[in-house]
Amino acid sequence: MSIIRVLGLLSLCACLLSSCTEVRAWERGYLARDEMAWEADPLESALNDHIFFSKEASSGGNSAAGGGCGCN
Amino acid sequence: MRLQLADGAKLVKISTSRSLIALSTTAMALPGIASADAPPTQHTVSYKISNYKEDDLSRREAPFGDLDRYDIDVHQFQLVSPVGRNMSLQVDANYESLSGASPWFTSTGLDGQPVVNLSGASGIRDRRSEISVGSRYYLSNGSLGGNLGYSEEDDYRAIYFGLNGERSFNNDLSTVSLGFSYSSDDIFPTDAQVFNRVKKEDKQSSSIFLSFSQVINPLSSFQSAVSITEQSGFLSDPYKLRDIRPEDKTQFAWSNSYRHFFIAADAAWHLNYRYYHDDFGISSHTTDMSWHQNFADSFQVIPSLRYYSQSAADFFTNVDNFLNPVSEYQSSDYRLSAFGALSGGISFVADLGEWTATLTTERYMANEKYSAYKVTQASTALVKYYRVSLGFAYSF
Repeated sequence: MSIIRVLGLLSLCACLLSSCTEVRAWERGYLARDEMAWEADPLESALNDHIFFSKEASSGGNSAAGGGCGCN
Repeated sequence: MRLQLADGAKLVKISTSRSLIALSTTAMALPGIASADAPPTQHTVSYKISNYKEDDLSRREAPFGDLDRYDIDVHQFQLVSPVGRNMSLQVDANYESLSGASPWFTSTGLDGQPVVNLSGASGIRDRRSEISVGSRYYLSNGSLGGNLGYSEEDDYRAIYFGLNGERSFNNDLSTVSLGFSYSSDDIFPTDAQVFNRVKKEDKQSSSIFLSFSQVINPLSSFQSAVSITEQSGFLSDPYKLRDIRPEDKTQFAWSNSYRHFFIAADAAWHLNYRYYHDDFGISSHTTDMSWHQNFADSFQVIPSLRYYSQSAADFFTNVDNFLNPVSEYQSSDYRLSAFGALSGGISFVADLGEWTATLTTERYMANEKYSAYKVTQASTALVKYYRVSLGFAYSF
């Protein structure tokens, strides 16, 4: 991955963060909904992570790795 | 507390006194900001059963032997319980049973194209059992958690633990999380004597991650995270006739997630992207999205799409070369080749009060033609599979 792509993605992140607005506590109802969670269905996420871990070379990202398995 | 705020549209209509209650509770229970920033108030028991079935190989891909690939049944169980006022307990248990054949070695077919030879006419049968116990302690503006796990198969054993913490700041609009995990694995292949496989090997994995979550506005939030994993020990596949990989691997992953709620549609949009690189020479891009469409208050339909593409490992070969010295790295494992994969699925979720039922079906197709990276050696035996899952959750 070239340095230009990294800088591009970092710039995108910076743009997103710069567009943040002050959100009062009483304005957070939609953010608190279950379907807005990072993992809306933990068992589904765990199963998908396990399948992709065993069928693709990539893993990791938003959590530390768990235990290994003979599948990979 | 979260139930009081579950319907954002209703939140603006509640009375002043209820608003004060809501104000104090909303800030504590924002799954969109932090993964677990408030202790659970209910016990929840979840169970999911899944069937995973890979497509059979064609006779062109595998001229000899069995064409059946993996057929796996998965049972997942989870218990999440409050413990006192500031702690929670989580127990996860999984059981898998699998049968089918796995690629053993590759060679050149009569037409000059690579073909795969599968392991054993009768295929493989194995079981995997895993249990993990974790706990989390909640502070006024963060939490600390840990878990301990054990996984066992007929030929593999892993013991692992993880520690993590998160802290909210900026009026609870920003959250930083940090975590570490370690796994010690033992490998003891079956029929080692008969097939001249290694008898007992081990490997260790250490991993750290750091994530930053930010509320952008009342309808959207963003998370960016990096993880670094170090593996050392026996990283080869003991069941392949010739598979020699380095004994150290460093993996880097950078993932980004975006959530947005559409009020008019009463739906949430999830968008995720991950970049990955390791020192086997593999890089990958993964992007997926899902649309969580609500119908009334008790039904949800969730279509999802995913695209994945990886480059090949430096030592990947699509035809095994048995004349190479054993000191030379070499693997024909299709998972180390350059390929792309498209998958799509749909979930139906019914909220029946204390019960929730979920039905999911998914189709996954890997092909070198889908690759975003240059493919110099296309692998045979890339996977296609179907998955069907049925899950239940009960809260009390």
